[in-house]
Amino acid sequence: MFWIRVTLCVCALFVPVMQSLGAEDKDAAALILARAEAAKTFKTEVSPFISTYCLRCHTDNKRKGGVTFNNLLKDPNGSALMLLWKRTSTQIATHEMPPAGEEKQPSEMERKVITDWVAGMKLLLPKDPGLFVIRRLNKREYGNTLHDLFGVDSSIARDLPDEVLGAGYTNTLTPLLIEKYLAIANDVLDKSFSPAGSEPTAVQRRLLGEPLAKGGDPKVAAQKVARSFARLAFRRPPSNSEVDVLMRVFALATENGKPYPDALRLMVKAVLVSPQFLFITPGNPNTDSNTNTKASPAIIPLDDHQIASRLSYLLWATMPDGELSALADLGKLKNTEVLVAQTQRLMKDLRSRALFDGFGAQWLGLDKLEGKMFDAEKFPQMTPKMRLAMYDEVRLLFQEILRDNLHLKTFIDSNSTYINESLAIIYGMEQTIRGDEMRKVTLTNPNRGGILTMPGTLVNSSFPNRTSPVNRGVWVLEQVLGEHVPPAPPNVPSLEKQDKQKIANLTLRQRTELHRSNAVCANCHKVLDPIGFGLENFDAIGRWRSVDDSAGTIDAAGVLPGGLHFNTPAELKKIIADRKDDFCRNLASKMLSYALGRQVEGYDEIIVDKITDSIKKDDYRMQTLVISVVTSYPFTYRRVTNTGETANAK
Amino acid sequence: MRSNLLISRRTCLRGLGVSLSLPLLETMGWADGPKSAAASKPPVRLGFMYMPHGVIPERFWPKDPSEFIKSPTPILEPLRGVLDQCLVVKGISGVPIAPLNGAPHALELSTWLTATLPDTQKRSVVNIAISADQIAANYIGVYTPLPSLELATMPQTHVEHQEGLHEAYYSHCSFRGPRQPVPAEINPASVLKRLFQCRETGFGPASNTSTQPLDRSMLDLVLGGAKDLRGKLSHDDQHKLDEYLDSVRSVERRIAAIELRQKDSSLAKANVAKSNTVAASSVPIDIKIPKGDKRSEYMQVMCDLNVLAFQCDLTRVSSYIGSTPNGVSYPELGFSDEHHSQTHHGNKDVMLDKVTKINAFNVAQFAYMVKKMASLKEGNGTLLDNCIMMWGSGLEDGNKHSRDNLPFIIAGKGGGSLKTGCYLPNVKGNQGDLLGTLLTCAGIPLDRPIGIAKKQLPELVAS
Repeated sequence: MFWIRVTLCVCALFVPVMQSLGAEDKDAAALILARAEAAKTFKTEVSPFISTYCLRCHTDNKRKGGVTFNNLLKDPNGSALMLLWKRTSTQIATHEMPPAGEEKQPSEMERKVITDWVAGMKLLLPKDPGLFVIRRLNKREYGNTLHDLFGVDSSIARDLPDEVLGAGYTNTLTPLLIEKYLAIANDVLDKSFSPAGSEPTAVQRRLLGEPLAKGGDPKVAAQKVARSFARLAFRRPPSNSEVDVLMRVFALATENGKPYPDALRLMVKAVLVSPQFLFITPGNPNTDSNTNTKASPAIIPLDDHQIASRLSYLLWATMPDGELSALADLGKLKNTEVLVAQTQRLMKDLRSRALFDGFGAQWLGLDKLEGKMFDAEKFPQMTPKMRLAMYDEVRLLFQEILRDNLHLKTFIDSNSTYINESLAIIYGMEQTIRGDEMRKVTLTNPNRGGILTMPGTLVNSSFPNRTSPVNRGVWVLEQVLGEHVPPAPPNVPSLEKQDKQKIANLTLRQRTELHRSNAVCANCHKVLDPIGFGLENFDAIGRWRSVDDSAGTIDAAGVLPGGLHFNTPAELKKIIADRKDDFCRNLASKMLSYALGRQVEGYDEIIVDKITDSIKKDDYRMQTLVISVVTSYPFTYRRVTNTGETANAK
Repeated sequence: MRSNLLISRRTCLRGLGVSLSLPLLETMGWADGPKSAAASKPPVRLGFMYMPHGVIPERFWPKDPSEFIKSPTPILEPLRGVLDQCLVVKGISGVPIAPLNGAPHALELSTWLTATLPDTQKRSVVNIAISADQIAANYIGVYTPLPSLELATMPQTHVEHQEGLHEAYYSHCSFRGPRQPVPAEINPASVLKRLFQCRETGFGPASNTSTQPLDRSMLDLVLGGAKDLRGKLSHDDQHKLDEYLDSVRSVERRIAAIELRQKDSSLAKANVAKSNTVAASSVPIDIKIPKGDKRSEYMQVMCDLNVLAFQCDLTRVSSYIGSTPNGVSYPELGFSDEHHSQTHHGNKDVMLDKVTKINAFNVAQFAYMVKKMASLKEGNGTLLDNCIMMWGSGLEDGNKHSRDNLPFIIAGKGGGSLKTGCYLPNVKGNQGDLLGTLLTCAGIPLDRPIGIAKKQLPELVAS
């Protein structure tokens, strides 16, 4: 009896572990198999293809167009060459290469072998979370963090230069920024602390404790303050040597005859210009160097405080709050259930609008709306108030989908939207909607609703004085479906060059079709144009119309590759919404990229596949997307190259 | 790329080495009294101003070198009156951009002062080279409160990834190091505040605390702590933290420079000693921040700030991105089309005319700045006499994206080092050669060529 019980216990303990090991093993086995297969294809198909069709121009010696395949043939898996493989694959698929003039042309079958092989390359990459280099807080995060710490308005950071957030975030630090950080620190302290000699403010009491008691030891008191304030501002417990530095600042002030409150003030200022405040730094750097004494790259999990900061800055664009910090102190965030619960809590909070302001607005191009130029005579409606309403309409849809955990296709196909008095002019609802406040409105017109037909996204691709069906098509393909559209080659005759008399009575659509009778252009435009023209019923600022500027009747019908017909924007929307897997993968990829603060590349592609799978399995829910990103391997792990010691020795 | 990085850091450290020993500041200042013959010579200042998308070549280049001052081409017309103090240089080729052929606009600005092609292997991160203005700032920046001034008129937030290149390439011309684009200031009020504080009080608003004088020592302690932290970080983290260390040192040094000036001026006021600092022969110009949103007024107030900074010797190096290669339009000229859309003109007259107007408009803003400099007395001449102001674009012809003969106008005599009043129609050199020559004229020693540079251009140098 006793033995049975023990065995059962052991089984119960080990089964989950065994299962996960099994999965890992299966992954590893699949990887070995895939590699062997790919190496074989490379030898028998890819390498001969390149030799036969490409090497006449693209060797180290000739480098036509700056391209050589010599390195590709030597080290086909080199991740630095991935970009060249991808470009080569696209050009082979679109018949751009080998050039039409070349005698030797590969068959369709041969071309497909290459494109399939390139598409499968990601499966060969080693598991790699990528670097997570210490990251500087961006302008918005910095302002919000000062707000949370001192209660000052986050606009206190307005003097910092504007910067791109997310994937391409430059993250550099220059003297100008340090200078401004110092000036802003002075400003913050002037606003939130009272002058020397007067009663401390509530903020001062909260951060620095009570004034020094008579006979109290200022050093002991200051040390306590240093530790507690650094814990808050560094978003992790400070090390002893970090507290020592602050105490040296305190001593500097007292040695120069400054009273206790002034000395604390200088210490707080020192914290605000310290790298530990300005950057998200590892919580316990000592462990890093211990686990990683070899010079080869190592992969380590993020510590709890880094995860807390990463999560909080992703969803709220500010420092972790009390609950999240406490869990990090207890080391609980490595537990996936706890991390998921915290992610859900943060998403439900109103502050999660930061995910739209930081990520959503950039994804959909709304961040450019405020400064976009319009022909003031033609479109006097584009006032700052109107632009704000257009922004808010998209924002409110995004927030609703996030908060209520809706199906991702709601982004494209939704039967309600948010409108106020300004926006009602665009929707033709000015009779019924009054006041500045945005309210939810159920739409009766099936052509409206969703990001494809919202004024905020439609104006994004317009020229100052007219629509651009091509830009609209590109926007839908790239931002909504995640396809890559190559830029137009220079010297392509544009619309304006066409003979004036010949085109006088043509609609924009007829003129564009004339232009794409050129074979070079037709290849891309046969995909772009139907989508753009399918949305021509919306004018440059998103109003419905049935005739365009030439007074010709708009023909919104079109056919997409694969023979999909549509007659109205509503039908086009349905077609796009049906490509939910493409939309979902694109959104997952873009959000992962934003969350990691870098472009998605190499092994990340596999992570994006995995995230997409889990969203599909959970009926395409928005919160599942965010949770999958937050719990993903590259969000919770990082690769480090080598230790401080070895780097110092160089 | 790696070797670039090392050298640039060395250059930078050399600059810091100079800066940290304060007495050098006193002995090397130009208005230093009668100790040396060169002492009475005002310093040379270097300014760079940018316009995107190139020009209409046949409406930019003068036809006849002997007539170009009297009857300027349409695009050079706004410079009438100061062309005798300018040099127009034809025959400077840009950086060849293959294999990044699909990224003409991401590269026109970022290659302009670096004369270097970005890393073509790892495109998703910034990796190019230190730019000419920052090389100059590392050397002559140590004498002034600000090592350099970076100005622009549009936020540097455009997101586009031509050829998979990082978006920072699109809107930055100044790079402090290969991986460190320098942000530019776009708000005239905050530039003015910064210049004023440099002159009067140091950094930040006048504070109600008495600890401000301790800032430099405080930063020193923080820096010490940051070095401790550095030793415990991984290799890539250290790289990032080095930017912080470098920036804090730079700010410390400037606080020192400001303190020195304050000391000098209080001594001068007390008639104890002759001031060491530059006192311009003319009264500092007025800055009026425009209320409306007229582009010309906006561009001109940034010009004024540049002039003021040079006039009061608050800095000796500036870069000014007149506009970035994305989405700017000029409603003042009577049309709302975006600049870029018109440059693909296909030789159609209406569009050629619009681009010509846009080109002339940009040259007019440069002319405004140059003329102002020419009106300010300095030493025995004018401020402009002691400046090298380069105006240009990173493309020759926006329609073809060609880069064979980049348009360049150089104004000012550079303290007598540069030729003026000529059109040089047949200079054979590249962008790096030109930048290297100008830096040499400004007295900046180069320990290596700038980007693709092969030689100096003696044609430009005064005999």
